[in-house]
Parts: sequence; structure tokens; C-alpha cells
Amino acid sequence: MLELKNVSKSFGDNTVLDDVDLQVREGETTVILGPSGSGKSTLLRVMDLLEVPESGSLRINEDGVEFGSTLSDSRIRSIRKHSAMVFQGYNLFPNQSVLKNVSLPPVLNGKLSAAEAESRARELLGKVGLGDRLNEYPDNLSGGQQQRVAIARVLAIAPDYLLFDEPTSALDPELEAEVIKVLVDLAEEKRSLVVVTHNIQFAKKVADRVLFLDNGSIGFDGSPDEFFASSNERIRRYLTTFEVA
Amino acid sequence: MNETLNLWAQSLPQLLMATIKVTIPLSIIAFVLALVVAVIATAMRMGRIRILQWISRFYVWLFRGTPILVQLFIIFYGLPAIGITLSAWTSAIIAFTFNTGAYAAETLRASVQSIPRGQLEAAKTLNLTSWQTLRHVVAPQAMRIALPPLGNDLIDLVKGTSLVMVITLSDVFQVGRQIAATNFQPLTLYIEVAVIYLVIFTVLSLIQGRVEKASSRYIRSTNA
Repeated sequence: MLELKNVSKSFGDNTVLDDVDLQVREGETTVILGPSGSGKSTLLRVMDLLEVPESGSLRINEDGVEFGSTLSDSRIRSIRKHSAMVFQGYNLFPNQSVLKNVSLPPVLNGKLSAAEAESRARELLGKVGLGDRLNEYPDNLSGGQQQRVAIARVLAIAPDYLLFDEPTSALDPELEAEVIKVLVDLAEEKRSLVVVTHNIQFAKKVADRVLFLDNGSIGFDGSPDEFFASSNERIRRYLTTFEVA
Repeated sequence: MNETLNLWAQSLPQLLMATIKVTIPLSIIAFVLALVVAVIATAMRMGRIRILQWISRFYVWLFRGTPILVQLFIIFYGLPAIGITLSAWTSAIIAFTFNTGAYAAETLRASVQSIPRGQLEAAKTLNLTSWQTLRHVVAPQAMRIALPPLGNDLIDLVKGTSLVMVITLSDVFQVGRQIAATNFQPLTLYIEVAVIYLVIFTVLSLIQGRVEKASSRYIRSTNA
């Protein structure tokens, strides 16, 4: 269980998260939807402590932290070991080969030996369809390929929760499809996924649960069926923005 | 023409000796130490401890803001007044180390800052320590970015060592001056000295090109 309680976060005068309570259950795909600027990304980044809120608390499995005072690096890292993020911009390390991008982190984390990490990386890269690009450097790959490497990279460190921050927003539709396919596979394996996305179809078909964020608060929390049938005016207005073509 | 060639042939051994005994070793020693100083200054500048940041900024400000000639004079002729007497060699090494180190520190800082923020976030989410991030992500990329400007710093250093005659060291330029003073052929001698610097420069440029090529293998070939 990943649990946020009373989380508030501001950037200057701008309140981005306003007293958010939230529980993410294990083995579910939780999709976070909402208009631009509603705080979706910030909420996700708080789960990985890439943003530290002013107040509230975060609990992941047996580890928890209260916000409000300065957190030491080692404290942050002890919480963060439970989760890992896939970014909109991939953020692969361009100085390392595809194989190295995936095999190095678990070695540095002290989880696997170099040999174990390499065979695990080969397996994961095969799984995301990049078994033949192991020795390429990231800059030689398409965006979709880079994002699949990024997914393999977080899988390699085996976090409890996989966080996706608009993973396909920078991709053309055909490249988006190959990344979505990987996400669907992970969802079917009953991994714990939290996905911020604008891909409504993904939410409809894959989500176990939809959170709708509106102005820094959770405006809806329920199944996709309930969400897409909702008569709530804010949700209807949000959904109609996708119908205009 | 024959006379000129003769003069060059006669003076070349002395000039090469001075190059090998002063110009090259001074450049190498000062550059290696300057890199160490620059790494330390950059680490202090980019670290979280305020007082170290200020010390680093002050150091760079001081040594970039004053001419190397003035620095040499203060260290060699000035410091004895307060009881610190250093040999010409030691003075030269100190001045060139700290002078080049200040420029190299600026180069390193700019290189580190040019690493995209997203990569640092990726390192965080993968739970790497700061040291691991520096060692495996930031430093390898920053070094590649820093190589061309560092190469230029080295070339400036080599040419700058021509100033050490003012603190009594006999580098290639000083020896050239001495020979010119005895045979009254300054143009011939100074052209010879200039050619020796050009040879060093050319060799360094070739090395710089090779090192840059070797270190940028991961860059998309169309951009290289």
C-alpha cells in the first residue's frame, strides 16, 4: 500500500496539491487523469519524493515519512527504494549503452552482481522488444525505443510501485502504441502501476481505478466505468476536450 | 639564407634543451596540478556548504582577475617580504597551477551545469547516491564537454610559460633572447622560438582531436 495523507504542496503562491488523501493499492493499475495544471505530475513526483510537500505524510509498505522538516538524503533514499519513475522525456543516460543503462542501477543499488544484472537486463530488454539493440547508445534510438529502455531500466531495480509521468506524451501515435503495449503487459502481470496520462483509451481499457485531479484536489476516485459514465460537470467538460477533432 | 639556416642549426640544441628542461615540464606539472585544483574548486562551488562556495568563488575571482605576470611577481618577489621565500621553480608552478586552475574550474562548472536536469532526476528515481550520480552520469559527460575548453586552457598555459624569464627561469624564449643578444639576429632567433611553440601547439591540437573523438563515441554520428 502506498498512502498519502493531508499532502499539500505549493510553488510560491500557487497551491498545486491541496490536502490530498490517497491510497494506491498493490497489484492495481491506477490512472491519474485531469486537466493541465491540475497537479497530476506533482502528485506522482511526491510519491517518489522528487517533490517534497510542505505538509502531510507518505507511507509505502513498512516505510513512512512525515513532511514539514528537512529530510536527509539517506531518509529519502530509504523511502524511494520502493518506487521508480518513468519520465515523459525518457531521461536515459546518453553516455551509457542501452544494456548499461538497464544493468548498472541494480549493481549500484547493491541488489545484483554485475553478471546477474546483465542477464536480467538482457531479459528485460528482450521483453520490451529491444533485445537486438543492446549495444546502441540512446541517441541512436527512436523516442518509443528510448521509452521502452526507460521502462526496462526501472523494472531492473524491481521497485514495488512503478510510476509513469505522461510516458507517451512526447511520442507520435505509432511509437505511442509500442510503449502502451508494454504498459498493458505490465498491467496484466498485476504490477502496481500509477500512470499519469492523457491517453483516455488506456484509462478506459487498462485502469483498475481512475483518479481525477482537479485544481490540486481529488475530484473522482473509482472504477473507469463509473468515471466515464459520471455526470459530474467538471469530468464531462474534461472528457469533451478529447472528443473535439 | 645559408647564414640563417646555420644559425638555426647552431641554436636549435640549446633551445630544445630549454624546452625540454623548463617549458614542457613546467606546463605538464602545472596543468596536472591545475586540474586537481579545478576539481576541488568545482566541488566546493557546487556543494552545499556556503563558506566553501565563497572560498571557491573568491579564488576564481582573484586568479582570473589579475594578470599572470603580476601573480608571478607577487609570489617570487613579493612574498619574501613577509618571510616566504620560494625558488623560481616553485613560484612558477604555484602561479601557473592556480591561474590555470581558476580557468579550468570555470570550464568544469559550466560543463557540469550543462547536464540536463532530467538525467539527475532519473538518477534519483533509480536511487543512486550523489557520488554514484557524479561518477557514472555527470562526470563522464561533463568531461567530454569540458575537453575542448580544457585543451585551450593547456595551450594558453604552454604559451604563458614564456613569462617565467621574469623570475629568472631559462625557458625556451629566455634562451632564445640570450642567443639573440650575442649574435644580433633577433628576427631569426625569435622566429625559431615561435616555430618551436607552433610545433608544441600542433602536437597538442592533434592529441586534443583524438581524445575528443575517442570520448564522444556515444554521440549520434550525424551530430559528431
